Amino acid sequence: MPIETIIGGWVATGLTLFIFSFLYKDNPLFKLAENLYVGVSVGYTIIKTYDTVVVQLIWKPIVENGEWTLLIPVAIGMLMLTRYVPKAAWISRYAFAFIVGVGSGLAIPRTISSFILKQIEDTVRPLLTLIPGEGVTFTWSLLNPASSVNTIIILIGVSSVLFYFFFSVEHRGPGKVVARTGIMFLMIAFGAAFGYTVMARMSLLIGRLTDLIEFTDPSYGRPSLWLAGLTILTLVVMARRSRSHPPEEK
Amino acid sequence: MTFAERMLKIDRRIIFLVIGLCTLIPLLYPVGLPIKISPEVRGVYDHIESLPEGSVFLLSLDFDPASKPELMPQSISLLRHAFRKKLRVIALTLWVSGTGMADQVVTQVAREMGKESGKDYVFLGWSPGGTAVIINMGQDLYGAFPADYNGKPTKGLSVLQGVASLRDVNYAVSLGAGNPGVEAWYVFGKDKYKFELGGGCTGVMAPGLYPLLRSGQINGLIGGLRGAAEYEILIDQKGKAVAGMDAQSATHLAIIVLVVLCNLFYFASRNIARRQSQSGA
Repeated sequence: MPIETIIGGWVATGLTLFIFSFLYKDNPLFKLAENLYVGVSVGYTIIKTYDTVVVQLIWKPIVENGEWTLLIPVAIGMLMLTRYVPKAAWISRYAFAFIVGVGSGLAIPRTISSFILKQIEDTVRPLLTLIPGEGVTFTWSLLNPASSVNTIIILIGVSSVLFYFFFSVEHRGPGKVVARTGIMFLMIAFGAAFGYTVMARMSLLIGRLTDLIEFTDPSYGRPSLWLAGLTILTLVVMARRSRSHPPEEK
Repeated sequence: MTFAERMLKIDRRIIFLVIGLCTLIPLLYPVGLPIKISPEVRGVYDHIESLPEGSVFLLSLDFDPASKPELMPQSISLLRHAFRKKLRVIALTLWVSGTGMADQVVTQVAREMGKESGKDYVFLGWSPGGTAVIINMGQDLYGAFPADYNGKPTKGLSVLQGVASLRDVNYAVSLGAGNPGVEAWYVFGKDKYKFELGGGCTGVMAPGLYPLLRSGQINGLIGGLRGAAEYEILIDQKGKAVAGMDAQSATHLAIIVLVVLCNLFYFASRNIARRQSQSGA
């Protein structure tokens, strides 16, 4: 096995265990791993951005291919840096105006079309469907997203939730029933979202534990076992030290 | 202090330990619980199956190492399926922090399937701009990515023959862990340039993407590790996702039991407190 793979295994195992040690209590190993994570990810992003943007997309096309028009976006981008010079900071507004203008122009129509119009179109489906040869049908299958029962449920859900957020009318009498129905739909939605979140977090734990099991292999030098021992030892030593030297009360 | 009150004040580290063991034991001793294929995952699989040989398949790996356990198995399965179907694969990422990992997974699966860079597939790497990259690709793919990840000019690559923009893509799948991801590919890609789109996402994001699925804005959705496991079953190549399913079921069961117990202890302690206050009065 290549030496870099083995070193990678030791580093990955160590950092995983150091991060997991926080579950016991905050400690220097966790802080080390946390700061390394932040530092490495920021460093990686800066280097990749520099290489891709400055070298590949700006410097090379201008110098090697003579694409001088690229200087226009570069100049607009450079205006942003004037934020650091208080007297010239106002110039950066031109760059921001350009970005906000272009960004809004691109995003607003597309977002309205995709998330509002398309979703409204889907919400107001006909309750009864006309199938050639079969006539008008009402489908009961909850498993079919396009069934008539699902259409009714969605209609009730959307209307009641919208009513719940309509604060101009006091929720009393029939209005209270509709608002309560809206709360029920909201709770179901929150429950589904939380269930998926739990699943996702467990998946991350499974991913790390799968790697830790893989790194118990002798070909890596069993880093999981050695580093688990080291982490536990550190936590024990820390616990003893804090018992013998309790923190002074201010 | 009653038993119920003691249980409600249990050290949270004991719960961590229980969850840890529920995850670790099934990973070490798998049971092989059955996995049912959901229609949303089958949607992606069936569409790739229906594509003729040589069709253009775009895979956008829009995630970083933080979502690796969920989205890496999805990437591997989709790439294996596409390569097996002899599709022309265009891979890229919109997340700068995931560039190295995306390159690693594409190269690794291509090597495993005996595919050649530039001829059977291309990894375009990352380009700045997020959603603007999608629009740029829709207008001119070579303008958005003049060179691939290895610095080779994209113009002239045989894998991109006849591909000028996103309009020439037969099927695109975005594996997203956030923004830009599946939604961005729909809003700025499919809706404008009219190609078929499927999605893959982390479990956290899945509920938010179901409305897009139901309205037909995406034709399939692979959600989290569970979705990846279903896809591994569909392509008949079991991997890390299937291996993790027993652990997933065990932890879910443990959490359900904990939630039920906590509720029981809570109501029991409340009843006791009420009775005590009544007897005191």
